[in-house]
Amino acid sequence: MAIRRAPSKAQVRREQMLAAVNYPLDWLEERSGLVGGVRYFLFRKVPSDTNWMQTLGSATLTAFIVQALTGVILAMYYKPSPHDAYASIQNITDHVTMGWLVRGMHKWGASVFIILLFLHMGRVFLFGAYKYPRELNWIVGVLLLVLGLTEGFTGYLLPWDQTAYWASVVGINLNGTAPFLGPWLAQFLRGGQEISGDTLSRFYSLHMLIIPGGIIALITLHLYLVIRLGVTSPPWSKEAAGREVVEEPAPVRTGLTRPAPHGGGRD
Amino acid sequence: MAEEKPTPLELRRAGFARYKKDVKERGKSFYPFAMFEDTVMSLVVVAVIVGLAVLWKWTSYGPHHDGLHKGVIGPEYAPPADPGTVSFVPRPDWYFYFLFYLLRIFKWPESVFLGTIGVPTIALILLLALPFMDVRLERRPSRRPVAMVAAVLTIMSMAILTWKGATAKEALASEVIADVPSWVKTEKLPAAAVPGAKLFATAGCTACHTYLGTGGSNLGAPDLTNIGTRNLGISFQIRHLECPSCVNPGSPMPKFASLGTARLRQLAIFLESSKGKQ
Repeated sequence: MAIRRAPSKAQVRREQMLAAVNYPLDWLEERSGLVGGVRYFLFRKVPSDTNWMQTLGSATLTAFIVQALTGVILAMYYKPSPHDAYASIQNITDHVTMGWLVRGMHKWGASVFIILLFLHMGRVFLFGAYKYPRELNWIVGVLLLVLGLTEGFTGYLLPWDQTAYWASVVGINLNGTAPFLGPWLAQFLRGGQEISGDTLSRFYSLHMLIIPGGIIALITLHLYLVIRLGVTSPPWSKEAAGREVVEEPAPVRTGLTRPAPHGGGRD
Repeated sequence: MAEEKPTPLELRRAGFARYKKDVKERGKSFYPFAMFEDTVMSLVVVAVIVGLAVLWKWTSYGPHHDGLHKGVIGPEYAPPADPGTVSFVPRPDWYFYFLFYLLRIFKWPESVFLGTIGVPTIALILLLALPFMDVRLERRPSRRPVAMVAAVLTIMSMAILTWKGATAKEALASEVIADVPSWVKTEKLPAAAVPGAKLFATAGCTACHTYLGTGGSNLGAPDLTNIGTRNLGISFQIRHLECPSCVNPGSPMPKFASLGTARLRQLAIFLESSKGKQ
């Protein structure tokens, strides 16, 4: 017969602590289901043999978060008018405490972001991860690449120095060579016939409101699809999770560069 | 019982269902296993970004107290924008060099459109259409020779174009002006054309145009060595310089109206006198 003993003081304290931690989580879960969502995200299964190359996507996201945070801080000091822009950039880079670090991270983080976008795309191509059922996510990724490059183009003008100014004059003129929409697009980007303060505020608005908004929306969709469809395993995987394509009969072809496959297929 | 051959779509669905089942049974939990690798990589990325910022600051402004100093990876900023001077070489950020250099290959007016819009649009359409062009299930690189060759060729051409764009020679006004006497001699320019020639050398024209082998050949700009043989006329040249896209719709050339009519006339005289090697 089990003897029911009164719980010790330590046990009571422990249970009170657990209840205190769980109460707000339960409250949130009951009203939103968010705790379950986060739990699903963290403890979902991924193939057991994922590759280091598959960290490039989250690395790109990290670079974007760095751009977003440093961008917000820069926006507190930057003045988007032709008269003040250059001086405010000088002030941020040479006088504001740690301003050089924030602007330096934003300036060089842009290049890192673009490089990572291309590397991540290369990895997805190498793994054939754009194939059924992930076609839509590839398209979202291509749009993210385009928006990322547009961020680079619009951000380049903001320091309002000679490099920025003349690269943008020519860049906008090049947009203008497109048929039908080109002249309209160039006119829209300039906000008139000439590059002016209107151009600068337009680029500023595109650079820090519209395009990043679009990027955030598309990243959300991108991640949703990754979680819904699952992470692909390396195509050379010996693990079961890599076998999603093995049913397709391997082409039995022999030639100078391809010896006859042993037994006609993998595994 | 005759068994029907499964359709490609059925094969794919079955493959994906098998993948889902396998991952569920034999996969690992995202946290902490995959997330550990993601975290390490993200920390590396942030460290690289901070490292670049430090290198940039402490080789430019740091020792020199001058943000214009070039440092190891570039100055903090160029001189302030000045729409009046046009002697600056237009140069985009490095990741646009491949597009920038395409315009050295495609020249105004016949094919510049291919460089500005044609090739990038085709590349974008191919990228978007990729999953619908390559519908085979096979994912192993060794069994996708066409895709792998296409990828290597794309990477190589973008790398070469970026490299060529990065190392493209810039025509500096101070160096170009030294060539003016030889231009006068070679093209037998009249005295009236000399002020225009000096202006041509210093006003930034050679950032994009070439003249007797000097200059940048950027952005699809044509060679102007014998532009005078086309007899376009002084007034046309002036109108064109004031607003290139008004005369040639779609021209990417900047407006030079800020030089003023008198100087534009000098430039026009020089251009009209340039009849090639005499």
